[in-house]
Amino acid sequence: MASHGIPRSSTTEPKTEQARLKEQEQIQEYTALVDLIDAKIAERQYTREVLDLTSKLLKKNPENYTIWNVRRRLLIHGLFSKQSDSSLPLTESQSFSPGATTTTSSANLSSSATTSWASKETLPNRASPIPGKNGTTHDLIKGDLDFIFPLMIEYPKCYWIWNYRLWLLDQAIDRLEVDVARELWSRELALVGKMLNRDSRNFHGWAYRRGVISQLESSKLHGRSMVESEFGYTTKMVKAHLSNFSAWHYRSKLIPRLLTERAASDLERYQFLNNEFELITNAIYADAYPYAQSVWFYYQFLMSTIVDEVGHAIITPNLTDEDRIEYATKQLVNLRDMLDGAEDCKWIYNALLEYTLALSRMQNRQPLEVDKEECRSWLAELRKLDPLRSGRWDDVEKSLKWLDVDSRFAPESGGPIEL
Amino acid sequence: MSLVTGPGRASISASSLPTELQLSIAAHVKYIQTLDKRKDELEYHLTEHLRINGIYWGLCALHLLGHPEALDRDQVVDFVLSCQHENGGFGAAPGHDAHLLYTVSAVQVLALCDAMETLDERGKGDRSSLPGSTSSESGILGVGRYLAGLQNRRTGTFAGDEWGEEDTRFLYAGMLALSLLNKLHLVDVDLAVDHIISCANFDGGYGASPGAESHAMQVLVCLAALSVLGRLDAVSDKEKLGVWLSERQVDGGGLNGRPEKLEDVCYSWWVAASLSIIGKLHWIDEEKLTRYILECQDPEQGGIADRPGDMVDVFHTHFGIAGLSLLGYPDLVQVDAA
Repeated sequence: MASHGIPRSSTTEPKTEQARLKEQEQIQEYTALVDLIDAKIAERQYTREVLDLTSKLLKKNPENYTIWNVRRRLLIHGLFSKQSDSSLPLTESQSFSPGATTTTSSANLSSSATTSWASKETLPNRASPIPGKNGTTHDLIKGDLDFIFPLMIEYPKCYWIWNYRLWLLDQAIDRLEVDVARELWSRELALVGKMLNRDSRNFHGWAYRRGVISQLESSKLHGRSMVESEFGYTTKMVKAHLSNFSAWHYRSKLIPRLLTERAASDLERYQFLNNEFELITNAIYADAYPYAQSVWFYYQFLMSTIVDEVGHAIITPNLTDEDRIEYATKQLVNLRDMLDGAEDCKWIYNALLEYTLALSRMQNRQPLEVDKEECRSWLAELRKLDPLRSGRWDDVEKSLKWLDVDSRFAPESGGPIEL
Repeated sequence: MSLVTGPGRASISASSLPTELQLSIAAHVKYIQTLDKRKDELEYHLTEHLRINGIYWGLCALHLLGHPEALDRDQVVDFVLSCQHENGGFGAAPGHDAHLLYTVSAVQVLALCDAMETLDERGKGDRSSLPGSTSSESGILGVGRYLAGLQNRRTGTFAGDEWGEEDTRFLYAGMLALSLLNKLHLVDVDLAVDHIISCANFDGGYGASPGAESHAMQVLVCLAALSVLGRLDAVSDKEKLGVWLSERQVDGGGLNGRPEKLEDVCYSWWVAASLSIIGKLHWIDEEKLTRYILECQDPEQGGIADRPGDMVDVFHTHFGIAGLSLLGYPDLVQVDAA
């Protein structure tokens, strides 16, 4: 959408006459192509020729959503129903090569950087029709999936491409035999894995992955649960890059199902929680990561399963109040240890403050004198380290009446402050 | 209206800026006025799929800048109505298919132009009166029915068009337009609220669908939808959400959309408006954010970019100005966060 991250250098030079003429030529070519497709569709020419024209246009401009819709109609109302011409290849997708990538001036991404990789993505058996009554439809869907792939690589944030691809795959479920459709869907897992290796935070990629998994698990495709392998995938992704919040998020969503499907005992759940804390603590200790917020949000998620009221106890629902208190106490000790060498890390002070107060709530008591003293000093550190959010720290202070800090002492003094 | 970037570009770096940064109102008005006169640029044609959104962004920015008259009202209304289909929905431009997003932009533009009566007279779609109703045929009802028809009656969320993509963006946009049309009774509001609740995450934020990662834009659309529907009580933990939102501010003053991503002017709107809805705008440094947005403008040729040094466009111009308005920047019309 609009222009994200286009550096200013791209049009600072005044256009030469030659460049201006070339641009007029490109405009002509583009609008003529749009008009041609419009005219053919108005005549209901739902043919391969028109499909190829839409391919040509979409390579110039994949954001043209109406053309993606035209393509859907071409398939539904025309090509899918023509069962006899299965030997005809889908020429556009077959002829696609890196060199044929258009030089759309609006493209924010350098096509040369992506196509060499894309060219290696030629998937096996692209042209050989699956024998049987669904030959044509299968070829069309598979050919179209192959055509789209380089566009996805070049325009990974274009909503319309991802949507069209999912629609196409849904057509496979509706129109092909289950095992054939399943094979097409299975390929998507590898594809989206590659997309996420290129950009491990791509929002579309993660959403697509969840969509693909949900179909592969569904009875429509004779699927079964993939929660174990997906959980393993998040482990791999966070270990590759500890700041990958998208992967931590996905992990948090998989855990309840994972434990249910494992029929995990209370002890196994307790061990699972320990393992997750170990993973995140090691991540926090890794180089530079105490300052990365992704790991702290996941830490917050784990802590919420201990300190929050029922409903959040999704990992260890049967821990007694005493067990939860003991667990939180132990984590507070760990947090203090983390401060050693990371005295400038606001996230640790934030966690100490939050969970010290949570602990006193869990124990149904007012904070101890020593707690109050420490909370005051942690809040002073937070103010010092994180002045951008001073309004938030003001509110924290207000919500804790007993924390009234005399402004003369905070935040520079650092030392203990009298009530 | 075009989405062509430039010609302006944001200031290069903070060090070259004058100490007193000012919003260049006249330059921005001029920039928006000339957007539709750039048909000799290829990008003008390649961004046709955003034409009606472009008009909304430009016109809304002009309203906030106090110059609503800078675009010819009748011309705008005629263009918008020329984008409508027989089913009541609007496309991005003549020749483009109907889609919820463009329909909502159309309704917003018509509302800004105070042209609801014109829509009622000239609008298309299913205008027939409801059984038993005594009211006359209505173009407003035609649009309302198109939008209501996109609600998923099983889950409460909305699809973008007949092809079925669903997203909380569409839920919000649909509800906003239905509320402007005064046709919220055509949809299942409770089911929509339940759907938003199911999109909440442990960090307090919201995603595009149940299970999706929190994202500042999705947070705003969910909060704004709840606000339009009068159901902000459905936000379970405003403290946690406020923490997550306030952590979007990076050292330079700008805001990002997710943890450890780059800052961008459009999040000035999505994050700040979200904070404003839950009463926590003061949890970020408003002065630094104001300065960041001003650093992203081209003071001479007008327009605002995503980041200092990048090409300007009308999308970021709109969200930058809306952000400044929310932050109480002087001389701007006050914007409503929802």
